[in-house]
Amino acid sequence: MNTRAVVNEFAKMRHLRVGLVAAFMIVPITGLSLFAVVTNPDFTPNAPDAWNALLAGMSLGIPMLSPLLLAILASRQTDIDHTSNGWLMQSASGLTPGGVCRAKLVALGVVVTTTTIITSLLVLIAGVFMGITVAPPIGHWAGFTACMLIINLSVLALHVLLSAKVENQLVALGIGALGSIVAVFSQGLPAAAAHLTPWGYYALAQAAGYEGAQIKALPISYPSIAALGVLVATIFLILTYRFDRQEA
Amino acid sequence: MSSTIVSTDNLTKRYGQRTVVENVNLRVPTGSVYGFLGPNGAGKSTTMKMLLSLIQPTSGEVHIMGRPMTRATRRGLLGSIGSLIEAPPGYPHLTGAENMRLVQRLLGLNSQQIDEAVRAVRLQDQLDKKVRNYSLGMKQRLGIAMALARQPQLLILDEPTNGLDPAGIEEMRDLLRHLASNGVTVMVSSHLLGEIDKTANVLGILSEGRMVFQGGRAELMTASNPDVLVACSHPVEAVSTLRSFGARQNAAGEVAVSGVDDARTAGIVAALVGEGIGVFGVRREEQTLEDVFRNLTAGGGL
Repeated sequence: MNTRAVVNEFAKMRHLRVGLVAAFMIVPITGLSLFAVVTNPDFTPNAPDAWNALLAGMSLGIPMLSPLLLAILASRQTDIDHTSNGWLMQSASGLTPGGVCRAKLVALGVVVTTTTIITSLLVLIAGVFMGITVAPPIGHWAGFTACMLIINLSVLALHVLLSAKVENQLVALGIGALGSIVAVFSQGLPAAAAHLTPWGYYALAQAAGYEGAQIKALPISYPSIAALGVLVATIFLILTYRFDRQEA
Repeated sequence: MSSTIVSTDNLTKRYGQRTVVENVNLRVPTGSVYGFLGPNGAGKSTTMKMLLSLIQPTSGEVHIMGRPMTRATRRGLLGSIGSLIEAPPGYPHLTGAENMRLVQRLLGLNSQQIDEAVRAVRLQDQLDKKVRNYSLGMKQRLGIAMALARQPQLLILDEPTNGLDPAGIEEMRDLLRHLASNGVTVMVSSHLLGEIDKTANVLGILSEGRMVFQGGRAELMTASNPDVLVACSHPVEAVSTLRSFGARQNAAGEVAVSGVDDARTAGIVAALVGEGIGVFGVRREEQTLEDVFRNLTAGGGL
């Protein structure tokens, strides 16, 4: 890993309002998660399954907003190299396009990892402040957060590749918006159908949801999400290796 | 140190059936300002990209500073080569200073190297502006500062005067002379001879992917073999007599004959005298360097 290239990607983030996009990944998702609880008349802080309402809120909020916001993050960070002749300048300095893409993923990955973990922790802390007295399901919560992180990073990696290859960033943003719709609607689809797109995996990581009139904890498809992570990492490495050899 | 800093052997690039660069043998002397000329689409940018290993030749080899330039060696060699290819680089949302810091970090340079490069292009007073607010000339200077920051032995500039006003072009010429005087070999391309012939001391001319000339200005003029012009008493009869030489009458009433050397010129004069036509004067047509360049790149050659 080229550390200098990663630090440069952080430097390129200045004036790109990455912080604002990151805040949009935290505040609205946290708000959506809490909204589902606050507006639920059946919510009882002392109930043994009180945490499930918050997990269900996050299970809906993250798929609803993350695909579009990840597309925006990747697109903004990649488009600057299209508009600045940056690919060629860096190639002529010995840093190939594949190396630039890998550096972008690492830098943006730090941002996405931070926002995903902060969101999860904020919702957890909010639950405590809302008076939930039972102990949180730490294992399930951590598993859900890790799975959402893997899916977010996978979607981010695919968007970095897309934005690097297709100069018109409207395409990337359109696909991101489509991803948000697919991610939400996948929760109503059979598990097999959710495996077909990267956004469908948000449904496979759903930690809680309605079963009848009650919100219950749901099993997370850990193997499927691990497979997604491995598959996307492999695709990303192969394609960025090919970028390294592509001609300017 | 090799006497040629850049050399290529039968450098060729094909895209499918289309040959963009064909058997180019470049020889760029160390310490020279090498003017790489040719009309748009002649293959100059492709050649320069092959020199930097940004694209791979279909066949042939590139040697820089005596070492082969390949994917394996490019990283090491690029540390000594500054370049400005196609549009000038620069992240528009960042300031000039922030852009220079990106280059500094990428190449592991110190602040002094950055300051010197910025001062060389006289951009030190504009560094706090965002690049999106730069004029084209300032962007070109920033691009050159980025290329100079590594204190290169070789600087490759692809049409650096594109879009510049006359003052900017003159400023660029001064900069190239200044760099050359400091021992930097500069290879600079242009489709306009006038833009670089005052600066370059070696010229290479590319036409339709082939090298049609390489050498100094004087060699170019000598090798161009301009038309022989004969002033005589009966031009119409003279043209008829010299039909086998492809003679024609020009606007000044002289008889013009192309592509003849000195021995054949003597034969032409003898033929005219033999026909009883009075020969008042014989001279070579005066050509400017522009004329020579135009003739060469219009499909001719030497």
